[in-house]
Amino acid sequence: MSYDSLIDQLAKDLKPVRRRRLNADLAIVAAICGVELLLFFRLGMARAGMPSMLQHPSFWWRLASLGLIAGISAILAALSFNPAFSPRRGIRALAVLVLVCLGTGLCIGAGPDGLKTLVQRLDWFDGLHCAGKVIALSLPPVVGLGLLMRRGAPTDMRATSLLVGLAAAAWGAFVFVFACPFDDPLYIAVWYSTGCGVVVALTRMLLPRLARW
Amino acid sequence: MTDADWRAMMIAAQSGNAVLYRQLLGELGAWLRRYYARRLPPVMVDDTVQEVLLAIHEKRHTYDPKQAFGPWLAAIARYKWVDRIRAMKAATMEEISEAFPADDHTEKMQTARSLEVLLSRLKPPQAEVIRLVKLQGLSIEEAATRTGQTIALVKVNIHRGIAKLSALAQGGDQ
Repeated sequence: MSYDSLIDQLAKDLKPVRRRRLNADLAIVAAICGVELLLFFRLGMARAGMPSMLQHPSFWWRLASLGLIAGISAILAALSFNPAFSPRRGIRALAVLVLVCLGTGLCIGAGPDGLKTLVQRLDWFDGLHCAGKVIALSLPPVVGLGLLMRRGAPTDMRATSLLVGLAAAAWGAFVFVFACPFDDPLYIAVWYSTGCGVVVALTRMLLPRLARW
Repeated sequence: MTDADWRAMMIAAQSGNAVLYRQLLGELGAWLRRYYARRLPPVMVDDTVQEVLLAIHEKRHTYDPKQAFGPWLAAIARYKWVDRIRAMKAATMEEISEAFPADDHTEKMQTARSLEVLLSRLKPPQAEVIRLVKLQGLSIEEAATRTGQTIALVKVNIHRGIAKLSALAQGGDQ
């Protein structure tokens, strides 16, 4: 098609569009996450003995860290659906935040035991089970953010995909906090990070192909 | 036309004003030709401009009228440019089979293409003055007038560009 006929065709095909709005995107993601959380409790998937859990510092550490990471990542991801926004600086700040959260958790209760005890504390079988659940709980926000990414126009696909993965993974882990029977910060740091890492790696690998424009 | 004019036309286009949209696309096409003329081999400019116009059409809902139009357009143009460069790099990785001996004409085309690929990896001002002076035969003064660079800068850009080209040709720069 020649240049002029392309312009004619595009002008002919023009229809009014509804502008993409950051707040609307964030509201959609929040709604998806809200429904997931509601279903999670309604289906009785939460851990028994919630009142005692509320006394445990590791519970609040998990909720605060994961909620903060999920919220900031989701905002940055939604911002980066705009072509003119570069998410690189935000990712660097998030990396620091993740390290601070992990460091805080390890300070709560990792250090004093010997190596053998540490290995026992990791509890491989349950750990892999937990990581699997974190991955499963990350799927709704991955789908929601992925669809919004396709509708948007991110110009740094890799960075945006990474943010989508991080937001979804942190949210999946956040929900899983209400079901996780383990309170050991070392166990949480290792297995939650494993589950989140898988989600981030997969979205980072797949989303740029699916959301290419 | 200023950024404010383009912005106003895009806002009108988002509401469905086809007349202003057509005018806007014409303006953007001219701007994109200039943008890519300094960044891509001449044979690729038209295709890329059309691709970007299509992308602008499909993604026009992502333009936020509260923001300036220029950065939005430049981000899309740059994204498509990087995409093209990646595709070119991937294409140069394809091995040419020994079973297809190249005649002189094919060889010349391959050389020209390889040169364009190498030029596209230089900084745009360097590639531009090398094209003008070394390939099209313009004088340093003419190239300076054409590009808006000073004579000294043209010389420096040619010198540095050629040094980088030879490094690239030897596979020393990644």
